[in-house]
Formats: sequence, C-alpha cells, structure tokens
Amino acid sequence: MAGEVARGVPSHVSDDLGAIEIALDHDELRERMSGNLCRCGAQNGIVDAIAEVYAGSGT
Amino acid sequence: VIELAYTRATDAADAIRSAQDEHAKYLGGGTNLVDLMRETVETPSALVDVTGLSAAIEETDGGGLMIGAAARNTAVAEHPVVRARYPMLTRAIVAGASAQIRNMATVAGNLLQRTRCTYFYDTDGSRCNKRSPGDGCDAIEGFNRVHAILGASPACVATHPSDMCVALAALDAVVHVRSTSGERAIPLCDLHTLPGDRPDVETVLRPGELITAVQLPASAIAAHSTYRKVRDRSSYAFALVSVAVALELDGNTITDVRLALGGVAPKPWRAWRAEEALRGRSATETSFLDAAEAELADARPLAGNAFKVDLARRTIAAVLQQLTEGARR
Repeated sequence: MAGEVARGVPSHVSDDLGAIEIALDHDELRERMSGNLCRCGAQNGIVDAIAEVYAGSGT
Repeated sequence: VIELAYTRATDAADAIRSAQDEHAKYLGGGTNLVDLMRETVETPSALVDVTGLSAAIEETDGGGLMIGAAARNTAVAEHPVVRARYPMLTRAIVAGASAQIRNMATVAGNLLQRTRCTYFYDTDGSRCNKRSPGDGCDAIEGFNRVHAILGASPACVATHPSDMCVALAALDAVVHVRSTSGERAIPLCDLHTLPGDRPDVETVLRPGELITAVQLPASAIAAHSTYRKVRDRSSYAFALVSVAVALELDGNTITDVRLALGGVAPKPWRAWRAEEALRGRSATETSFLDAAEAELADARPLAGNAFKVDLARRTIAAVLQQLTEGARR
C-alpha cells in the first residue's frame, strides 16, 4: 500500500486524479486498507498503527 | 482434486492453439475464474494462462489508447493518459474490488467475469439457468435485492458485476479479438448479450476466441467525465447502482453526453435513451430527471429491488449535476 501511495496511484477517495503526491490521511488509509486481506484492515486501531509506522518511516 | 491441463501461452497464436478443446478456458488474473472453479461452477478441462500476453498501454495515432488484454486493472487506473483524458475509467476501476484484486485482475478478465448472483454460486442448493440451462431460476422469487431491473428475462435476472465495463461502455471502447479464423473488433456495448432464454450465453465471442486488446477511441468529451458507485458499504462491495457520465456544455446547453449504468442490468448498460433526451436540453435538474425517467421507463423491478429504480433516477441526476457544477467552476 505504501508503495502505491509513493507511486501516486489514486484511490476511490482521492479528489484529484492528477495529483502526484497523495496525503495519506485516515480516509485514504481506510480506503486503501479496505479489502487488504479482509475488511478488518480498516479498523480504527489498525489505521492508527499504520499511520504511526508510516509517519516514522521517513517517506 | 480437479484434474486439468495448465499451459502458459507465449503469444496470442500459441494461446489460441492451446485452447482448441471446447472446455478449455483462458486464465487471466484468476480473481473470478479460480473462485468459480473452487465452487465447481466452472469445470474447465484446460487452463491457458494468458497473463504473459500484451499488457502494453499505448497511445494510438488517432489520439486514443490501446490497452493490452493482460494489462492489470491497476495499471490502467494509474496510467497518466487515462487519469487525464478518461477520468471516469480510473474512477470506475478504483471503485471496484480491492487493491489486491485490482493488482491481479486483467482487463480481458474484467470483461469476462461472471455474475455474483448468489444462486449462481450455490451449486448444491439452488436452481440457476445460467449454470444449468433449463433448470429454473431461484432468484426471481428469492432474495433479489441486488438483481437486475433492466434487460433481464424470465430465465435470468442476474447483473453484470463490473465497474470498469460501465465506463468502457460510456467511452465507446472497442474490444479486439482473435481466433483461428482471424481478427475482428467488437464495440464493448455489443460484446455482452442479454439473457433471453439463454442466460448461459453471455457474450458474442465464439468458442476459442481470445480478447487481445481494448481500444479507447479519442474523445474530447471523456476528459470531463466521472463515475459514481452506490453500494451497501463504502468500499469493497459490488454496485447497487453505478453511473458513468461524460458531459459537454455550451453555456447552459448540453451539447453532448455519454451515460452508462452498472448494477442494474445483465450487461454494462449504455443509456442511449437518456443521452437522446439530454442532447440540446438545458442543464437543469428537470432535464436530468426527465432523461433518467426515459431510460428507466422499461424498468421491471422484482420484489426485492424496486428501490433501484428511484436510486438510479436520483444517482443519474446527481452525477449530471456534479459535472455541470464542475464545468462552471
């Protein structure tokens, strides 16, 4: 998922299809994690955990 | 254990040669066919893997786009030309399935995926004319909330599940196919057939015919387009109703429009009547609702899905309004 964000792949909740940089806010995270293995990938705790790791990853 | 032959095609000619057996199937990403095989809905004698065939996405001389049949759904959605010139196609693709499925699923596979009607999958407990022609349909008197309101028949009320195909229908995409007897090109709108009394037949493809590419014609109107999907969950669910629209305005007059519907019919539903009703009219809510009414005049809802008629009407009007407001900004 992080790779797709870095590549600028738009998601269902991306407003601007022309955007090269995607701000990985919680709406984007939920949409991109939904269906990733299963629907529980978009639960609150998991979304927070991904946001924390992603913020610390330096990307 | 299911016994079957598996071969990986090196090119289109090799694929066609390998799929001569009438029970052979071409395999793309396998996101639908493998599920159907697990459920024994599909029981092919041989799988010919065509994921090694052309996945190229190339601009054509006329200003359109040629998309290799093996291109993954994600590759199409993220392509800069698709995003800029055919935004409804990117929107439709990213509204479908999940990221993992979109990364596996091919363009040709998306076209040929089969309905998600639960009776079709229920090989042990349900009658289905699509699965076993002549057996009857348990959906018509059953749980039919997600089924078709347009184009269905007394034999079958299943819907075509694709989001991508709805955009392709609105964009006048052309499907290139090849067989031992040569090549031909089929408008996407003519690829899928209505069920009539043969719901097991879903396309005009001949036995062994291989989809090699999908072509998007050059289209000025397509740059001003979008796709909206209404579903039970906001993500990872099939459409109850979806709408693809491209709109061209001169002042407040609709000079041209493309409109297609998903989730309501056995095939991606090009809304020719709505388009006809819109051309030359002013871009007002009354015009939008009139056009939707024209398209839905022949709707035949079932006990469980009458809500779809009003939902389709309102969604068509809302997306037309959204594009009208976008054009004024």
